[in-house]
Amino acid sequence: MQNAIQRLLDAANQVILGKQHQIRLALCCLLARGHLLIEDVPGVGKTTLAHTLAALLGLNYQRIQFTSDILPSDIIGTSVFDAQNHQFKFHPGPLFNQMILADEINRSTPKAQSALLEAMEERQVTVEGETYALPLPFFVIATQNPSYQLGTFPLPESQLDRFLMRIELGYPDHQAERLLLSGQNRHDMISRLSSQLPPGQLLSIQQAIDQVHAAPALLDYLQAILNFTRESSDYPSGLSPRAGLALLTAAKAWAFMQARNAVIPEDIQAVLPAVAAHRLRSGQTNASAVIGPILSKVAIP
Amino acid sequence: MPVSKSHLLFILSAIGLIVLPHVKHIPASVFGFFYVLLGWRFIAVWQTRWLPNRAVVLVLSIAGIAILYRQNLGILGQDAGTNLFITALGLKLFEIKAQRDLYLIVFLAFIVASSQFLYEQNVLMAVYILLVCTLLLATLVTVNSYRTQTRQALKTAATLILQALPMAIVLFILFPRLEAPQWLVLEEDHKALSGLSEVLEPGSITNLGLSDQLVFRAKFTGNIPPPAERYWRGPVLYYTDGKHWSQPDAQRLQKPPQLTGEPYRYTLLMEPQSKNWVFGLDMPGTVQSPLMQQANYQLITGDNPEKRSEYHLIAYPNYNTGELGEPLQQETLRLPGEPAHRIRELVEQLHGFDGPPQAFIDRLLNYFRQEEFHYTLTPPLIEHNPIETFLFETRHGFCSHYAAAFTYLMRVAHIPARIVTGYQGGELNAVGSFLEIRQANAHAWAEVWLQGQGWVRVDPTAAIAPERIEHGINIDQQAVSGALSFAAQTVRPGTALSWLKHARQTWDNLDYNWQRWVINYDNSNQSQLLSSLGINDIKTLVYWLLTSIGSFTALLSLFLLRKTRSQPDPSRLLYQRFCRKIARHGLTRHPSEGALAFAGRINSLLPARAAEVNRITHLYLKLRYGQHARKTDFEQLRKSVSKFKA
Repeated sequence: MQNAIQRLLDAANQVILGKQHQIRLALCCLLARGHLLIEDVPGVGKTTLAHTLAALLGLNYQRIQFTSDILPSDIIGTSVFDAQNHQFKFHPGPLFNQMILADEINRSTPKAQSALLEAMEERQVTVEGETYALPLPFFVIATQNPSYQLGTFPLPESQLDRFLMRIELGYPDHQAERLLLSGQNRHDMISRLSSQLPPGQLLSIQQAIDQVHAAPALLDYLQAILNFTRESSDYPSGLSPRAGLALLTAAKAWAFMQARNAVIPEDIQAVLPAVAAHRLRSGQTNASAVIGPILSKVAIP
Repeated sequence: MPVSKSHLLFILSAIGLIVLPHVKHIPASVFGFFYVLLGWRFIAVWQTRWLPNRAVVLVLSIAGIAILYRQNLGILGQDAGTNLFITALGLKLFEIKAQRDLYLIVFLAFIVASSQFLYEQNVLMAVYILLVCTLLLATLVTVNSYRTQTRQALKTAATLILQALPMAIVLFILFPRLEAPQWLVLEEDHKALSGLSEVLEPGSITNLGLSDQLVFRAKFTGNIPPPAERYWRGPVLYYTDGKHWSQPDAQRLQKPPQLTGEPYRYTLLMEPQSKNWVFGLDMPGTVQSPLMQQANYQLITGDNPEKRSEYHLIAYPNYNTGELGEPLQQETLRLPGEPAHRIRELVEQLHGFDGPPQAFIDRLLNYFRQEEFHYTLTPPLIEHNPIETFLFETRHGFCSHYAAAFTYLMRVAHIPARIVTGYQGGELNAVGSFLEIRQANAHAWAEVWLQGQGWVRVDPTAAIAPERIEHGINIDQQAVSGALSFAAQTVRPGTALSWLKHARQTWDNLDYNWQRWVINYDNSNQSQLLSSLGINDIKTLVYWLLTSIGSFTALLSLFLLRKTRSQPDPSRLLYQRFCRKIARHGLTRHPSEGALAFAGRINSLLPARAAEVNRITHLYLKLRYGQHARKTDFEQLRKSVSKFKA
């Protein structure tokens, strides 16, 4: 299974240049059954990343562009009266796909945001008393413009918490950008991508990740981190128990991707900025600056 | 980062509390000005439009300077400095724009808080300042964290203070104490100091009778003298114009008296006073520098009397001062003029001219006792011929009236006599077993010179009001009723009053020990204590300082380490051994560095050992974090680590 993962990563790195770590984190997030939030300025490849991952994982993909006038029914779907059968028929919205790219999620109103976020949490939607299950696997990759930009409704902390990870892409370095400029059209490349995972393998990978071992010594370290964020004066509020679970799940997926069957402290350190930064409010905006004190001050027991 | 409302409220309340005790020392205008500014700033926390603009702040500053200028405090000295700081602190409140202004204000407030000790150094003030400093520290904690919960911040600040306390105590005891040069010594408040005066004018001690201000304390090793022997010698007066009695010029003692009897040994702790008099118990034995004994046996000190000071003294109940020199005899016999007819008659009637001196003294005391003489603290005013009027008309007076009349009559009978002022009595603090002598204990008595005995103390007040000598004045009741009563035994055990008395004595004892061990701990005390510990030079002292700081730190670290190291994992111990070996190559693992990351660093430095290092790291990770580690893995790790050559 690790070979398949490596192939997948290699293929993605062909399309998105110079972002190996971010791609690895994004894949880790999806393998851990988590939803991903990508925050960055427009044009750095957020959509391309989502589209590439969907293609490589062989998932059907739908993009929802969030605007300030989008309604929950535009996302979930709506019931239409069928004149022949004399009853209402539910027409599923774009949400009923395995991978959703919720583009510029903070451009929409909180009402539309919460429709998506509830679906993410429950993995099902309820319309007019009827409950419809969402397809399996179900991933949401949301992109968000930095909140200082105009016309944004920042996601509240409670909703940020629904995302397992938040990553930032950042500008490519000089060399990668040159390759991008001289290379072929990314759109064409994505359309030519084929699935690297046979059907059903994704689910078995996810099950295997659950089996990754977390030793008591590792849990000690994890708890030390949680306590540190709760006691340190660097953060207004510490990490929640849910954040602790998220951290463990992500670290397990990361360990699995490194072909290990046990989590080691480095796995936690690797996923920590992406998992914890958006759950900790602090004066810093940069993820590594938020997480820096944890990485340098919490001793590994 | 902008300054939040809660930070402002925190710091403003802390500052309000800090300046409060200064009410006793700084002028009302400065005090008022500060609190007006503080109140204004408080309102401006909610009503930001009330914040003054720069022009108004400028006007306020000028007003502040004008107020300071009008106090005529000068430029140097504690008063000028304290007032300046307080005014500046008030004005700075209108300049809080960024976090650094908050820091500045906190530090200014710390200075103002410590300036309180220039005026008052008692336990209560120390505790108050410590509490207020906790509040200031809590302000710093809130400013520096996102948590603005007051309780949490106060807890952190209190923890910090408690943690710093042992270190502060060690530094207090061991740190070399510098004696400030004389010109730098800050002057204490003179206004509060009062006491006996050089000139006695019957009636001038009235006010003292009511003040319960502490003058000195005496702690005895061994026996405590009975109340009737507690005469604390002060200035000796013998020049008189019939109305005033004054002191001769200071003369050093030439011929010490013969001292006999079981001596009392005691430590005298003088409160600050304006005169250099030290009130030794009669009769003081030999004294050491800085004390000097004068020709009339009074003790004076060469040190600054405005500082609390401690003296080790000895007193003898029996003494014989021997022969009287010619000049002194003349001085102690001199009368301001021809005595009045009535006085001569009285002396004649009591056989002053034709009997032995001792018999005349007894008859005179009897006369006081049997005639209608009264002891009162509120005697009628006598403007002319005070002694004659007192003896034959008013007959109401207190110690100085009786001492003056007695001395005068002695001189008329040609017996050398003089007045001794000082203190009599003292309340025994049962908790600390020391005597407390207050201004209310001020007293005047007489001394007559008798052939073969030398100067002998005679207290005519004891003849009139023996209770005054035996029990002392009950100050509390005086204050209430204005009348005098002598009743030390009225307090019955078990009553609320006795509890109150006990509480007061406990408190006085605490205060005594505070004065003695903390405030009075100067460099002579320090060198005494240190040499008793075997520290005689600065080198040993530094060694001690470093050792105590070192051991304190070591203890603390041990404690902290123990907390994290609950159950040592054998594989972890092996890995730590491996890390120690690697450390010899100059590579140390950071506590938060994972084993894999560390292995990466080692391999880049020691590529040749990569196989060994990777093996150890892999085994360690498997043992510590893996699921199916076997006993053989542990053995392998142990062997690999032992084989690993540093």
